[in-house]
Amino acid sequence: MRRWIENRWVHLVFRLGVGAVFLWSGFVKLRAPLPFADSIATFNILPMVWVNVMALGLPPLEILLGFLLVVGFKRREVAFGIVVLTTIFLLALGQALARGLKVDCGCFGGGTPSVAKAWGALVRDLLLLFCAVVLYLKAANTDRELKAARGSGALRILH
Amino acid sequence: MGGNSSFSWGEMLGHDLPAFGLLTTIALGLGLLLNQFRDAPLPLLYQSKQVRFEQEVARLVPLETPRHSVVASSAVREVGLEEFREFVSGRRGLVLDARPEIFHRLGHVPGALSLPRDDFEKAYARQRSKLEGNKDLPVAVSCSDAHCEDGRMVAEALQRLGFRHVLLFKGGWAEWTRAGLPEERS
Repeated sequence: MRRWIENRWVHLVFRLGVGAVFLWSGFVKLRAPLPFADSIATFNILPMVWVNVMALGLPPLEILLGFLLVVGFKRREVAFGIVVLTTIFLLALGQALARGLKVDCGCFGGGTPSVAKAWGALVRDLLLLFCAVVLYLKAANTDRELKAARGSGALRILH
Repeated sequence: MGGNSSFSWGEMLGHDLPAFGLLTTIALGLGLLLNQFRDAPLPLLYQSKQVRFEQEVARLVPLETPRHSVVASSAVREVGLEEFREFVSGRRGLVLDARPEIFHRLGHVPGALSLPRDDFEKAYARQRSKLEGNKDLPVAVSCSDAHCEDGRMVAEALQRLGFRHVLLFKGGWAEWTRAGLPEERS
């Protein structure tokens, strides 16, 4: 299992897959912020004054994170951002399901509120979180190794 | 968690979290800026779809209409697939599709007019001649599926606008297509 998770091809698939999901989801919501605002409102956790701000700010954030993840720029910070966002999505969905609310996840734009769809979104977010955590730990490890190499002068020797 | 491991709380809180905060601020700024260039910018204060819909319907109700007649006189009657199918095939009245127009274009019940909840005022104005001339005819409203609230919202709005016999096909497009009934595209 550990060897499988450390495989660079697996990381590439995770990076491109998660990046594509964030890009797609961001673009869909950017095109239609009003249905997305309606979806956010069904969760009943944000004060009304924050609903539209979230509907306007979240899609560009998802696009930025998705794009940066796909191109591989600032991998650690981007993977961290995706871990945070996915955790927030999971908490929002989890509390809604626990409260018995019929929510529309709004993950890919507005839709019909449904408990079954919310469970589906929860499973999808768990998968995304798993991929994002693997990517974050890998990027953090690489960062640490680079710093250590710089510190010991190994890079100078390599050059 | 420390030493040579790949995870450090200190690095996460001191480096990753501020970087995420910066990215979030940039994204929010971009989102607010882009919103200014939309045809209909999203207002900063959210109004629920029920409130927005009520406002749209209120603008459509003629000013001279007495207040008591604006309130729906009877409940919308729900119909099942068989009754709705007979209504459609027998052309007993108007069939209205409450789903967003894009879905209507992709496929709808034969003869159904698009009257989406999310663009009700404009759609009603477009269909005004067909609708207002038939207020005494029965109208049947259909939506996406049994969970769709838009169908009931549109049906009740039609009652407020003076339609006397409003039916709601609860199963909607999902039940219609599941039964393999004919579809129409526009």
